[in-house]
Formats: sequence, structure tokens, C-alpha cells
Amino acid sequence: MVSYSALEKWRPYFLSILRIVAGLLFLQHGLSKFFGFPTAGPPMSTLLYVQGVIEVLGGLLIILGAYTRPVAFILAGDMAAAYFIAHYPKSFYPLVNGGDAAILYCFLFLYLVFAGAGPWSLDRGALKQE
Amino acid sequence: MQAIAARLQPFAPHALSLLRIMAALLLLEYAFLKLFDFPTAPDFPMETIFYVAGVIELVGGLLLLLGLFTRPVAFILSGETAIAYFHTHAPHSFHPIVNGGGMAVFFCFVFLYLVFAGGGVWSLDRLVLKQD
Repeated sequence: MVSYSALEKWRPYFLSILRIVAGLLFLQHGLSKFFGFPTAGPPMSTLLYVQGVIEVLGGLLIILGAYTRPVAFILAGDMAAAYFIAHYPKSFYPLVNGGDAAILYCFLFLYLVFAGAGPWSLDRGALKQE
Repeated sequence: MQAIAARLQPFAPHALSLLRIMAALLLLEYAFLKLFDFPTAPDFPMETIFYVAGVIELVGGLLLLLGLFTRPVAFILSGETAIAYFHTHAPHSFHPIVNGGGMAVFFCFVFLYLVFAGGGVWSLDRLVLKQD
């Protein structure tokens, strides 16, 4: 059988890369809601303002890798709520209701709760925690 | 905080398998969309390259769902979604939220991670092939 131990050595670094990319993608939704950048978001409501704050703060903390596990825990729950409030009523199928990204965010953040932030993070670099 | 982290870490391989399974199911949707018009027809005209992408997504998605040959399959899918992003989405705008390629980027990096992380505990790689 093929040995994958050479790949496994790089795993923590790619965990950090995945975390940073997911944080950047997530931040986009907050920026579009609050600043109309790079494009205007949906028509705003109180719930969406709250959601925007969660997305901007949560996205930044995920990108930096600060307090990753508790932040990811909140964001995973947030994305599950977003899916069932904003997307699920439209259709059962994520491709039709537009909630597929919310699902993937939810399960990715859930993974980060258990896996932590990886080596390229403030958690590891400055806060000296996992 | 360290004590909590130490108690969470042992379940990372299970959460990894969950992430793999959900990503595979979501990818399969894009294959069904292109090849079988299910659950809806694609809102873009089908070209040859989209049929090729659909077949890669169907076969790769099924293997990833089962966690069979996870690393090589994830490597191919990571490349496929990268091409999808630059071929289909990037020409429209630099920003994924404008060009509609956010999912392609997301898939690409999740699959890239799976190349290095494997399929986790709930995978045929682990359960049947006894490899990681």
C-alpha cells in the first residue's frame, strides 16, 4: 500500500490554510451586508444586522486564528441557524435554496472546534494555546 | 482552555469524516445538476467541459462519500474545482461573492486539506483497506 506519511507531515499547515480561506470567504458575507463591498447584500433586517456582526467579527477571528475553537463553535451554530431560517424554507435541496455554502461552513467550523487552528494562528503564535 | 482543547482533540477524526461526507454530498448535487437535471436544471448552457466536470464530480463525489481512496480522489477534485473556479467564475469578477465561485473555492481548499488529512475514522480507507 502507498504510504501517506510524507503528506501527513504537512497536514497542520494545510489546516491553517483551509481555515484562513474559509475565514476570508465568510468575511465577504459580513462586508457585503454592512459596507456593500464588493457588492450590495440582501435587504437588511434586524436579524441580518446581527448576522453581519457575527460574520465580520467571526470571520476576522477565524482568519487570525484567535480563540479558534470557541469562535468556530459559535459560527457552526450560527450557520446551522442561517440555513434553517434563510434557506431551508425555500426548498429541501441546498442547490435550489442556495444554502449549500451555509452547510459547508457549518461542518467546517464544527471540524475546527475539534481540530483547532493549526500552526499558523494567533492561538499558537501569541496566545500559546491550541 | 488547554484542558478543553485536550478533550476535544480526540474527536477531530470523527468531525473530519463528517466534513468529508457533507462536502461529498454537496459536490454530488452539482454532478446531479449537470448530468441528470436534478433537483433542477442548470441555469447555464451545457458545454462539453461541463459534462466532463459532471462525471468527475459524480465519480469523485461517490468515492469521497464512501471515503475510498480519499487522498488521490481529493487531489483530483481539488484540481477540478480550481479549474472550475478559473474557467467559469474568475473571468466575471475578482471577488468570489460577485462571480459566484465561492463554493468552488471552498470545495477546492477542503479537498486540498483532505489530500493531507485523509478521510478520518468513518471511511472505507480506514475500515476496509486499513490504510489512512
